[in-house]
Amino acid sequence: MILVIDAINKDRFASVLDEMFKLRARVFGDRLGWQVNVVDGRERDVFDDLDPAYAVGLDDDGNVVSCVRALQTTGPHMLSDVFYAILDGEPPLRSPHLWESTRFCVDTQRLGRGRGPNSVSYATCELMIASLEAAKRAGVSDIVTVIDPVMDRVLKRSGNAPYDYVGRQAEMGKVPALAALLDCTDERIARIRKFSGIEGDVFLSEEEALCLLARRAVRAPAKSALEIYCDEQVAAATTTQERVAALRLRAALADRVRSRSDISA
Amino acid sequence: MDPITPDHNDKDGSGFKRYLERIRDRFELDHVAYAGVNPVSGKSHGYMTYDQEWSRHYLEHRFYEIDPVLIKARHSIAPVDWARLEKGLEFQTVFRDARAFGITDRGLTIPVRGPFGDVGGFSVLRDCSRREWDLLIGEIIGDLQAAAVHMHDAIIRSDPLSSVLGAPSLSSREIEILQWTVAGKSQQDIGDILSISHRTVEVHLRSARSKLQALTTAQAIGRAINLGLIYPR
Repeated sequence: MILVIDAINKDRFASVLDEMFKLRARVFGDRLGWQVNVVDGRERDVFDDLDPAYAVGLDDDGNVVSCVRALQTTGPHMLSDVFYAILDGEPPLRSPHLWESTRFCVDTQRLGRGRGPNSVSYATCELMIASLEAAKRAGVSDIVTVIDPVMDRVLKRSGNAPYDYVGRQAEMGKVPALAALLDCTDERIARIRKFSGIEGDVFLSEEEALCLLARRAVRAPAKSALEIYCDEQVAAATTTQERVAALRLRAALADRVRSRSDISA
Repeated sequence: MDPITPDHNDKDGSGFKRYLERIRDRFELDHVAYAGVNPVSGKSHGYMTYDQEWSRHYLEHRFYEIDPVLIKARHSIAPVDWARLEKGLEFQTVFRDARAFGITDRGLTIPVRGPFGDVGGFSVLRDCSRREWDLLIGEIIGDLQAAAVHMHDAIIRSDPLSSVLGAPSLSSREIEILQWTVAGKSQQDIGDILSISHRTVEVHLRSARSKLQALTTAQAIGRAINLGLIYPR
């Protein structure tokens, strides 16, 4: 099942994101040999600091088995800032109805062959369905996705062949990369569903995901004295003015607490 | 729908307010609001169709410092239904008061990001059932996305500091497609001429419209001719 994580719920799913960055290090760093920055067994780049949306596949035990990242093409994204070789020096597409998808991967070690629920093929199709459905729901009509020729073949074989490409295939380090276009239409989603046999809702709600993760007995980190103080201030506020001030203080300090844990992570 | 026309004499932003009112009326919404930050000038911008009383109350209580609709929603990339925010104490603090002013908490915020680190949030509200709301949003979400980016771009570009950032950078393919459109070719024709899918033609046209701050292809062509990017027929 697919969980969507963005800036609004990322604090609740920090452990999932951490596991996702480890999966990306194994796939893009180790297996595919892309020129990516791996620190402490986790692959991250500057776009991960821009609050992208992630679709993350979780298996029945709550393990991360697949992931992909989405950014708006109206703002900073990889085709405009990193993969410009693909565009041959041309300015990138920019549209409120076009999202960019990057870092699509599945865990080929944990998943098996064949077409069943715990197979590479199933996890790939489930993630593709979720990406297209989430984009369509957001009013987005098309996705431009930066992929390598292997992924291009996977798309073609799963009922999800790109309808076109932009720019040209370019060498990114040792690996060729290309930008493919996918329409977020019911027809395309139906083709992938038919190919994979996946029916019904592919999304996991936040509550369902939290239940699933709780079963893994991952203990939430204890609150710091500072956080406890902030919570007390909010609870003790008697007027709206006081409460706004307390909430503002908590928000300001939350950023500091978070950035500190990022450094130690 | 008419685009926002750049007007440097419009100091109080009445053109932006009128645009929000047009959006509100066209999609039968209760209210429409926009808030954004331009990092180039360091300025915050806010426009809304709310009554004066609520706006004043909101500013007096400095709700803009905690309002998750402003602060949290614009960090998302997908439109944020306020149901996602309503559990937080911040949301409850703002909207308990809002209700007293007749403002519903049934809303959605479309986050917008621009190329210069500029961010904005375009919010729409309607007091109605969940079912009616979901149907409405499902129908108009694509139009709202276009409206949100159009409003944001117009506001960022209205700043004298940002306008020095230069003319829109269209790709040669976008210019080529606009030029063929001026010559009267359909998207299907252009796809055949350029050996690309007609959907790719549409994607390039959408991009050209966005870069030229136009809502329709006709408006985009007008602006491209004015900028000397393409030739009139």
